[in-house]
Amino acid sequence: MGAALEFDAVSKEYRNFPSRRKVRALDHFTLQVERGEIFGFLGPNGAGKSTAIHLAMGFMRPSHGSGRLLGEPFGHARTRRRVGFLAENVALYHRRAGRLVRFYGALNGLGGARLNQRAAEVLEAVNLTDLASRNVGKFSRGMVQRLGLAQALVNDPELLILDEPTSALDPVARVAVRELLIRMRAQGKTIFLSSHLLSEVELVCDRVGVLHRGQLVRLGKTVDLLQSGEQVEIVARGILVTSFAGAVAQNGVVSFSVPSKAQRQSLEQVWNLGGEVLSVNPLRRSLEEIFLEVTASGESASAKGGA
Amino acid sequence: MKAVILIAINFVREQRWPIFVLLLWVLLLVFLGLVTDIPREREDLLFIFKQVAVYVVAFSIFFGGSATYNERKSRRILAVLSKAVARHQYLSGLILGVAISCGIYCFSLGLTGSWTLGQAGFPVAQVWYLMACLIAACVLSGTIALMFSTFLNPFFAAGATGIVLGLPILASHSLSSRFGYSIPVVELTITIMKASYKVPGARDWFPVLWALAETVFFWILGAWIFTRVDVAVAVE
Repeated sequence: MGAALEFDAVSKEYRNFPSRRKVRALDHFTLQVERGEIFGFLGPNGAGKSTAIHLAMGFMRPSHGSGRLLGEPFGHARTRRRVGFLAENVALYHRRAGRLVRFYGALNGLGGARLNQRAAEVLEAVNLTDLASRNVGKFSRGMVQRLGLAQALVNDPELLILDEPTSALDPVARVAVRELLIRMRAQGKTIFLSSHLLSEVELVCDRVGVLHRGQLVRLGKTVDLLQSGEQVEIVARGILVTSFAGAVAQNGVVSFSVPSKAQRQSLEQVWNLGGEVLSVNPLRRSLEEIFLEVTASGESASAKGGA
Repeated sequence: MKAVILIAINFVREQRWPIFVLLLWVLLLVFLGLVTDIPREREDLLFIFKQVAVYVVAFSIFFGGSATYNERKSRRILAVLSKAVARHQYLSGLILGVAISCGIYCFSLGLTGSWTLGQAGFPVAQVWYLMACLIAACVLSGTIALMFSTFLNPFFAAGATGIVLGLPILASHSLSSRFGYSIPVVELTITIMKASYKVPGARDWFPVLWALAETVFFWILGAWIFTRVDVAVAVE
């Protein structure tokens, strides 16, 4: 079984109107999203994330390269029956929520009792059962986003592509969506999650890719990315806080970080000072730090390139 | 086919207010039929019937020319095309929606015309023939407008449709009258406008069938173009 989603050297160019200037939204973008994983797709505004998603869904055609969705080329309509999609700033028809979900389910070939059952299940999953008979025009932005998620889930998709699915949600709803995604992964579903909420991505994603100026600048397992490997934190007691640069003391325990290469030397120094080492741990970075580092280095590289 | 029908019904539902406005013209004819002495005012009633009939051709261009644009601008198209709906199915649904919208109007007008004009001595069968001409003209003009709307904004799509519909008439005046049938929307409209109590007109079905054949052609051409355009707005 191949990857759930594949981009193979995909580029997408637009022409600005009226200047006709070429804008390259994606530049030889290559990525494989494996089945059964939650993949976090990150990048600053204008990086090309939505373009990549729209290409995968067949809303656009690549200028160069190709890609596959569940083993079929992008744009293959019948394959989308096995895919769920939630667009950024989702827009839905103004009709009753329950009917709307059934409409989208029917477009995917569902019908009869199965459609009614699935519609009820997904409305329950996004906590909108009580509002099923209310017109979507009267919904708040957060409710529309939850309903958007329901229409994406109605066909019980193998692959779920979500573009900023929690941007309008309150913290309680965010937690509910996070738990829903984790449950789906447990069922063997693949989730491609584009988000600016890095803490969310950090919590649920197995792998992360960072897109910057149309190019994939970082890709890896979330745990590997978060563990820098370059710094370790040493916690000790029985030494003075002034013994190490940047050390902090709390309740007689001193902690400080040193480069991995200097770990042995630092430990020996603690022992020589008569101290006791309590723990040595690789320093964990946040996804936000990595994101800022990657995008900042991209900015400076492009600035140099442009100079 | 199920997706096409769902999209068509959804289109009609979304266009319910313009359809309602159109049906007010039919109500006007009903009202006139109720309050006037039909045999005495029969020429006026026929004039109004013909006027009201032709309005729907303009509405069909409006329906077709704005259909994909509105969906793309509102981004509602994304949720639909993210399902197992091919582009040609989506366009087919919209064309069917335009046909149903115009069909509702033509059927209502046909019923009202049969009642009012029938009482005044106009052949009822001829009323329904005129409605067949009208629906054929509407579907063809709506399909041409929809074809243009796949790559033009509604204003230019309507303009381009007007040019395509008008050119055969120019050619028929300057070259040969047969050119009028090359895209027979205007010819079909003229057939309706020429109807009178004295000369209800012969029932020539060729332009109707020809219009339907051309509808299929522009349908295929529109679908071919639509599969090649980007429907998502570039946000980057």
